[in-house]
Amino acid sequence: MAEPKVKYDRQLRIWGEQGQAALEKASICLLNCGPTGSETLKNLVLGGVGSITVVDGSKVEEGDLGNNFMVDEASVGQSKAKCVCAFLQELNDAVKAKFIEEHPKELIETNPSFFSQFTLVIATQLVEDSMVKLDRICREANVILLFARSYGLMGLVRISVKEHTVIESKPDHFLDDLRLNNPWPELRRFAETIDLNTADAVVHKHTPYIIILVKLAEEWANTHGGNLPSTREEKRQLKDLIKSKMITADEENYKEAVEASYKLFSPQGTGPNLQKIIDDSCTEVDSSSSDFWVMVAALKEFIANEGGGETPLEGSIPDMTSSTELYINLQKTYQAKAEADFLVMEQKVRNLLKKIGRDPASISKANIKSFCKNARKLAVCRYRLIEDEFNSPVQPELQKYLTDEDYGTLQEANSLKVLPENTAVGLYILLRAADRFAANYNKFPGQFDGEMDEDISRLKTTAVGLLNDLGCNGSALSEDLINEMCRYGASELHAVAAFVGGVASQEVIKLITRQFIPMSGTFIFNGIDHKSQLLLL
Amino acid sequence: MADSTSQSRSRDLDKLLLRPGNLVGPTFEAGTELRDDLKEYVRVLVIGAGGLGCELLKDLAFSGFRNLEVIDMDRIEVTNLNRQFLFRLEDVGKPKAEVAAKKVMERVNGVDIKPHFCRIEDKPISFYSDFQIIVLGLDSVEARSYINSVACGFLEYDSDDNPREETIKPMVDGGTEGFKGHARIIMPGVTPCFECTIWLFPPQVKFPLCTLAETPRTAAHCIEYAHLIKWDEVHSGKTFDPDDPEHMQWVYSEAVKRAELFGIPGVTYSLTQGVVKNIIPAIASTNAIISAACALETLKLVSGCSKTLSNYLTYNGVEGLHTKVTEFVRDKECLVCGPGVLIELEASVTLKKFIGLLEDHPKLLLTRVSVTYRGKNLYMQAPPVLEEMTRSNLDLPLFELMSKSPRDIVHVTGAAGKGDTKQSCSRKLRVVFKGIDGVTDMDMAGGA
Amino acid sequence: MIKLFKVKEKQKEANENGNGKGPCNKQTAGELRLHKDITELNLPRTCTISFPGGKDKLMNFEITIKPYDGYYAGGKFLFSFEVPSIYPHEPPKVKCKTKVYHPNIDLEGSVCLNVLREDWKPVLNINTIVYGLYHLFTEPNPEDPLNTDAAAVLRDRPELFKSNVRKAMYGGCVDNISFARCV
Repeated sequence: MAEPKVKYDRQLRIWGEQGQAALEKASICLLNCGPTGSETLKNLVLGGVGSITVVDGSKVEEGDLGNNFMVDEASVGQSKAKCVCAFLQELNDAVKAKFIEEHPKELIETNPSFFSQFTLVIATQLVEDSMVKLDRICREANVILLFARSYGLMGLVRISVKEHTVIESKPDHFLDDLRLNNPWPELRRFAETIDLNTADAVVHKHTPYIIILVKLAEEWANTHGGNLPSTREEKRQLKDLIKSKMITADEENYKEAVEASYKLFSPQGTGPNLQKIIDDSCTEVDSSSSDFWVMVAALKEFIANEGGGETPLEGSIPDMTSSTELYINLQKTYQAKAEADFLVMEQKVRNLLKKIGRDPASISKANIKSFCKNARKLAVCRYRLIEDEFNSPVQPELQKYLTDEDYGTLQEANSLKVLPENTAVGLYILLRAADRFAANYNKFPGQFDGEMDEDISRLKTTAVGLLNDLGCNGSALSEDLINEMCRYGASELHAVAAFVGGVASQEVIKLITRQFIPMSGTFIFNGIDHKSQLLLL
Repeated sequence: MADSTSQSRSRDLDKLLLRPGNLVGPTFEAGTELRDDLKEYVRVLVIGAGGLGCELLKDLAFSGFRNLEVIDMDRIEVTNLNRQFLFRLEDVGKPKAEVAAKKVMERVNGVDIKPHFCRIEDKPISFYSDFQIIVLGLDSVEARSYINSVACGFLEYDSDDNPREETIKPMVDGGTEGFKGHARIIMPGVTPCFECTIWLFPPQVKFPLCTLAETPRTAAHCIEYAHLIKWDEVHSGKTFDPDDPEHMQWVYSEAVKRAELFGIPGVTYSLTQGVVKNIIPAIASTNAIISAACALETLKLVSGCSKTLSNYLTYNGVEGLHTKVTEFVRDKECLVCGPGVLIELEASVTLKKFIGLLEDHPKLLLTRVSVTYRGKNLYMQAPPVLEEMTRSNLDLPLFELMSKSPRDIVHVTGAAGKGDTKQSCSRKLRVVFKGIDGVTDMDMAGGA
Repeated sequence: MIKLFKVKEKQKEANENGNGKGPCNKQTAGELRLHKDITELNLPRTCTISFPGGKDKLMNFEITIKPYDGYYAGGKFLFSFEVPSIYPHEPPKVKCKTKVYHPNIDLEGSVCLNVLREDWKPVLNINTIVYGLYHLFTEPNPEDPLNTDAAAVLRDRPELFKSNVRKAMYGGCVDNISFARCV
């Protein structure tokens, strides 16, 4: 076995060769390489991303030695980007690492086209003004952007991209696609070849529960006007029917049938998540549509026609008590149906591609196959521009967070709703207020000793102003939390940076591999008691 | 003044340690003394120098601690390199603890990390008592359970069944699997110990042997057949070694043959390794997240510089991002961390009399009692073979049987309750001998 | 929260005294639970237990089963139990040390019993397992076999099975496989 494959063994088991290939193709830019940025990139370099570019204009100071593992004594006075880059290169020589000694803020102002060369930009420790500008640049260039920020005991992670679509979302728990309550003709015929009342005890206890349920559902329907059980009482009766077919009490397959009987009662057809995707206006495809939406358009046609309301069959079955032969034959029956559905889908995709003027072969067989297999699990994530979130947050959500009693007890003080001392939304507001503060006073609140009292009152005023601008003039932040924010004084603690960097790198992996579902909204890390929260603003 | 802090190496941490706050622990006293004390007096033990351990050592070294020790019995493997960032290809084969300690000391000035390349069971109990806090970066239930019993073993309760603060040995525990993980704080006697909530760890999936032998259906069944049944059949007496590539290769090729015989798809070498070694997928990012949470909680627990996690954090990044804090509660009857029942005795009381006393004790009402002390069975009611072997102890003073320990823990099992409602149960007892000076250390070693 | 000043005092004290004391209970939760299981064992009349490691080594023990009726009446079968430290989170490892011609026990001593693998639950105990093993001798199960040949014979030719079992127990050969005498 080749060395790199062995090295990546533990992660290949999660995202496979395809996910790894996507990582190895990706080129990533990091803005600011303090501990938050360095730790984010460290996790990605270990995983084997294609290339990294570290952008930082600062020199290593004594203080950096207390929170950044990528610099050491010998680095003091040198370019931080250069030192961090050198250490990262040491972690994995398969990664192409380079650095640019320039201040990200200036790069954003003077050279916006710089960012279009990357797959993804990780912007750390940027203040609001730079975030907004960079976001516009990346959105324009269709580059995925991820913000990460550590500030005292709190942190923020936010993804920004117009649209991210996922085929392989790999959820932990998902209902098997067995069609027990809607068997296609071949499955029905297969079930007919098996006699549940067989006298052979070995055969009886090795008949898979899929067959038991398909047959007994049919038996039930025949005596109930063609309907399946719908009331709780009827469902219980069906379970009793299953149990009545047992010869001895230790027949695992019948026990499994009783346990799996809920799969008979699950609704047919597409679930609400998929329905929303199918109803999306992007299914009106044209030459600019992505492969994903072309396939969704084909799926929509399939469901409305050949599928009879169902997606293409997934084609796999879970393990269940059964003889080898029956299980393998059953598996083949499911696979054959999945293959037939795939062929119909493939034709539809090719026709659509032709219709919109693209090469009909431009989407590979393997991709269409994977799409069919995952049709019920598709995901579409869309992110607002950061500017829109900052200027006009989703009001009902914001109000909800500001009054959420789950996060502590509200106190009434001077008829203002005072937020509980350490809510995530409180930290979010204060981080933004700290940026406003910095824009006004050229330092962060509490950055220097001896100016605490003044800073606390100034931060409070700034926060009140921000809340008013956001249309929340009825809310106030607790004095304790304002005080706490000033105490942090824009410090970048290593453990907080490692947490935030860990979250950021995990989201980057999901975005690049296009597997699993990236987080939505703005993640606020609460290092005080770990009651972190995703704010959907 | 601004300059003096910005020039300092502890520039950022100082904000948290030197400045007073309102959202802090009850013992927090901001100031340089706190910062210096963390370095001078606090000793932290990290258990495991793997995916979590490497991160933990780095994170703790940057969190104000100077005296760290790390224990790990493993050597570095190639498959560690995608996440255990302190190791390089040329380190493969070297002890993890030693390389990890060296690398962190090289880069973080002033930190002292002492490595221990051995099993956790190899260390005497006194080794563990030297640390103020133990941080666990482990991947096995067994090892967690062992450390938990050691740490809870230091716990003492006062006569009102309240834990004596100075005997609490806190643990911070982390674990990951793929995109998911947990971090928790265990304060024995205050928050649930590992045994109180062992059900949080699902037992390993085991296939029925007859399925493997007779009705295999999946690739994993074929692999386990080769591993658990065929191996013994062919190699009589030779134990299977999962770390021997030749053994693994043999299991793989046998599994392939079996899969072909039954028409089962999907047997690969990688899957064979995964099934046989029960490999849990692991990535750098999740380890970083969980270790950081553990290190942060360690700093907060020791310094009081903020509130602490109460008491169990789960992280799940599979579908979006979900974090949740759950406050689990202690099992008051827990044999490992619970207070047990206080029993005061004269030093002359024989084991037989002691057993008789338990029958009448209002909190116990125990009959058919068997007694065990530090792994030694003092008396066993049943089975007869053990009863015979332990019967002679009945007439000896319990004090002697307990190696003249003035106070210690004894476990008993028996039937509790009256008449028909008798139920068998285990109880923890805190035995204290009256008139024996508890402070003389003469026989405290106890030889356990 | 740790009271740091106490830590300081303790550390100083330890330095002065030059030794740390270590009161401890090294027994794991698994050992305590097994202790309870062992004292409440209620073995079938014809089963005995022994502890080769002595009275303080309960985690490894042996059970001898002498079925008094059925195909295996008169035989004597030895099982080794290896109890893990995290018992009852994980079940004991059980092996049959007596070579036996049995549909659910293979020639290497592996035993196919649900409570030893897929159906183990922490509420079960050693007694459950011993009864399960005993049951295998009174009612061998030919439908979920481990020794396929023996199972087929039991299913299709019970008389031959009976004589095969006898032959094996008296130290004879069945299908060219020799067995040790265990009556």
